[in-house]
Order: sequence, then C-alpha cells, then structure tokens
Amino acid sequence: MSYSLIIAETRKGEFQEGNFDPLYLSDIVGLPSYILLPEGEYGILRGSCDKVIVAPLKEGEFLNPLNIIRLLERTFQAFGEPSAILLPHCSFGIDVAPYVAGRLGWPIITDISGFCRGEEGEIFIKTLYSEKINGHFRLKEGMRFVGTVRKGVFPKVAEVVKETLFEEAPSIEKDPRRDFIEYIEEEIEDVDITKADLLVSVGRGVKEKGNIPLFEELAALLGGVLSCSRPVADRAWLPKARQVGTSGKTVRPKVYFALGISGAFQHIAGMKDSDVIIAVNKDPSAPIFQYAHYGVVEDMHRLAQKMIENLRDQK
Amino acid sequence: MEVVVLAKWVPTTQEEELKIIDEGRSVDLEEVPFRMNEWDTYAIEEAVRIVKEHGGVGWVISMGSEDADTALRRGIAMGLERGVLLETEEDLIDPFQRAFIFKNLLQKKGIKFDLLLTGGQAEDDEFASTGGVLAGLLEVPYASMVIGIEEISGGEITLLRELEGGLMERVKMALPAVVSIQTGINEPRYVSVTGVLSAAKKERDFLSAADFMEGAKGLLQLIRVEIPPPKEGAEIIGGDLDGKVSGILNILKEKGVYK
Repeated sequence: MSYSLIIAETRKGEFQEGNFDPLYLSDIVGLPSYILLPEGEYGILRGSCDKVIVAPLKEGEFLNPLNIIRLLERTFQAFGEPSAILLPHCSFGIDVAPYVAGRLGWPIITDISGFCRGEEGEIFIKTLYSEKINGHFRLKEGMRFVGTVRKGVFPKVAEVVKETLFEEAPSIEKDPRRDFIEYIEEEIEDVDITKADLLVSVGRGVKEKGNIPLFEELAALLGGVLSCSRPVADRAWLPKARQVGTSGKTVRPKVYFALGISGAFQHIAGMKDSDVIIAVNKDPSAPIFQYAHYGVVEDMHRLAQKMIENLRDQK
Repeated sequence: MEVVVLAKWVPTTQEEELKIIDEGRSVDLEEVPFRMNEWDTYAIEEAVRIVKEHGGVGWVISMGSEDADTALRRGIAMGLERGVLLETEEDLIDPFQRAFIFKNLLQKKGIKFDLLLTGGQAEDDEFASTGGVLAGLLEVPYASMVIGIEEISGGEITLLRELEGGLMERVKMALPAVVSIQTGINEPRYVSVTGVLSAAKKERDFLSAADFMEGAKGLLQLIRVEIPPPKEGAEIIGGDLDGKVSGILNILKEKGVYK
C-alpha cells in the first residue's frame, strides 16, 4: 500500500506545530504516514504516525530543497514511492514543495485548507483572490502530488494510535550549490507589542505614511500600543518589530483593535488568540470579519477622527 | 548579469466583493481593476538594482491576455530593458503547467539567465510555486521568500530568507539560480502613468503561449469556486458614526483596557 511522506520542519532543533496539519490530512485521506526529519529525538511522535524516518543530515542541511530532492530519491528506493508528499505551508514548505514538484514532474497544490471526497473524487481546497474565494482542485492523473498544508485547519482524527517504527534514511551526498550559513535574529526594539493589553493595529487601509500619526494619537489616547500588518511594515511606515503575523509577532492582547486590515491568514495566525478582536474595514466582505468578535463597516480614517474627537472631549 | 523577472498582471481583489459566475466555475472579474502583482514589483526593483550594479540586461516576462503588456511596460518603465509576453486567453491556473511553459520559452528562445526572479506569490491564485517548479524543471538552485540580497560575486549569491517570528537565515547559492522575492526587500521606485505609456515605444516580443505548450500538461483542475462558508463571524456594530464610536469604546471599557 502506498503512503504519504510528510517532510517535517524543525527550527533550532524544535519540532514545529505546523507539521501536525499535513499529518492529520494524511490520516483524513486515509494513507499511512511516514515522517521525514533531520537528526534529532522524536519520541513525541510515537503513536501518531506509521514511520519516523530520520535523515543523517543536520537541520541546516535538511532545510534545503536541493538536498531534500536527493534524500527523496534515496528514500523512494528504500521505502517505495509515496502517493503524496506533504509539507507544512511555511517558509520551509514553500521553499521545498515547488522545487520537488518540478524535479519529480508531479502536480503541486499549496496552502491546502480543506479536503473532501465525493462523486467528483478527491477534492483539495485552497483559497484564491485575497482569501475571498475557495478553489476546489482535483488531480487530473490520480493521487500523486506534492502539497503544503495550512497550519491549524485539520483536526486530529479521533483515537488514531499507531505502532510507530523508527527508521534511518539512507545517506546522501549533499548538493554543493546551496548552503545554509546561519540564523539571524531580529533586532530588539523599544516597544514589545506582545506585552500590550490593547493593540491598535493598522493595515493596508492606512494608505500612506502621513496618516500614521493619526493612529498613533488614537492609540495614545486609548492607552494602547500601535501595531500593524505586513504591508505597513513592508513600506517601513512602522518598524518591523510592530508587525503582527507569522513573519512578525504572535500577540494575545485583551483587545486587538484592527483598522483597515483585510485579514490574510498569515495575519490572522498572529492575533487569533486575542481575548476580543474588533475589526474596522470599509469592505464588508473583508475576511477579517470572519474572525473578529465585533465588526464595524466604516472607513478607518473617518472612524479614527471621530473617535479622537470624542476622547479629547472626555479629557 | 542576465536577470529575468517573471511578472504577473493580476486582479486587485483586496477591496472587492466578488461574485461567482459560470455555474460555480469562475469568478466574475469583469469589473475588477488589474495591476502588477505586488510581489513582482519588488522583484523588478531588485532586478533593476542588480543590473545597475553588475551590468548586463534585465528582462521582464509575463503570461496572460494582451492586457498583461502593461506589466511589461511597467517593468521597462522601472528600468528593465527587454519584455516578452506569452499571450493566452486561457486561464492557466496550474503552477506546474505555467512553469513548464516558461521553461519551454527560455529553452526554445535561448534566453540564458544568471538570476531569475519571481514574486514570492501571485495575489490571484496564491500558489507561490511557479519559480520553484521552474527551478526544479531546470535543475538549478532555488531559494524562496528572500528578503535581502547581500552579495553577488564569483558566480555565487548570498541572500537572506525570511522565516517565521522575525527569524531569518543566510544562504549562499551558486548561479544560475531562481529566487523568489518577499515584499519589503526594497522600496520599489515610483513610475508615472506617462512613464508606462512611453515605455510602449520600446520593443517587446509578443508570442503565443500555444507555441510553447509541448509537454506542458495541466495536472490540476479547478472544478469549482465558492465563497467560503461563513464562520461564526463578527457581531456587527451598526448605526451612525457616533454609534459606532461609542459601541467600540464600550467594549474597550468592558474589557478594562480603557477607563
């Protein structure tokens, strides 16, 4: 019987939570699951998959599409060819999955967030058009593909307990054309947005740098801290240390007050555990309204102006 | 240095309410404005800077309807020299197929590159895959989500990849290579409308994608599109502006973050 091969991400030796979604998807599809990993101890995986295959590679050598493809060729020889190669949808998965698909000549579906099986066969769902549309995709030539899976979307299939075998992957000659040199940590800034009780967070809707002071004032009047989504940090309108989301900070304030943020999943992932989320957006179809507790359909500038006026009057 | 950028002309859907048409098979984009894919703007800027520093020729290549010529003109207006459009009216959504067509173009037309840049993802299909698949098909090194190019010398490139939670990794690769660019890597230069218009005088190659389909099978089929089923969703605070403001302030007070 075929199987799915999950290529897992570790960072600084730590097994990443996002690896569980490809694993659970594999259970839902109904394939035996083999997990491929760099050197390390993976006792936590006992019972959750059929095989743990540890590659004789250090993390920096393993997290490299050029070495992974060599490893796959040897792994296929040793364990047979899988029906699915699954990775977490993250900086590692998105580095490796397309390259592997190109080398193998297999189809690729990235950022899978749903799966169903019906008359039309097996359907994989991913978002399109700023996450406003779900696309239902079918593999034209049957179950053989490379996929990355969105974090936190697939539940564990109840009471799957497996007899996990621990194996070693064959060794490979490393590809000299790409080398990991080092990790670089972000510089520490004056404000730590992860410590704030109230975050006033601005997104693409802020439109230009000259509008930032308005929201700085709003945050100050409310006694909160100003943070932002990716487009604002990309343009250096606010420092990177203020960015909420997967590539920035994960925050859990008492109130997350989002203005002009559409709600890309990378942003949602960084703030969804806030006690209360209030979203202001002029577009009633903005995805953020699906995740917020309270929504206000309004232009963020108009609302901020009015709010500042009211707050000043009260002082 | 020969630097090639793959750029896509995409619908701007961030602030649009989208409608499904064609019995659930496609999205109505008739009224939606199009623009250069945001990630690709950063990739073009990076290419312009690299060519300026190292010499050589910068290319912008796009695939799509004839409107996608605007992507070429924007790329040229920003400072690239050559433009190639692979014209097709088909909605080619499968990134494997798209990458294969690009591979055929590069090989059949003898376009050699030291560095091929793509945006980290396209705003419309969000696959983030064309560059990586192309690198795999061409068997050249690949790095994605690149947030800094530090050095290009001696046939090697040193770059920074953006990881999660503020972490980055420094990577060295041999050229030729494919690199996908993350937004925020640079500050793309402003290009005026007249700049884009006058770029129309520059020579561009208009080819038919149909001539580069050999072996480029679609392996993936989009059988249906739907508006995502609503989750629990937000409780909407309505009313006039005053009502909205006091509604928000009440919640902040209730939660004890504003007194």
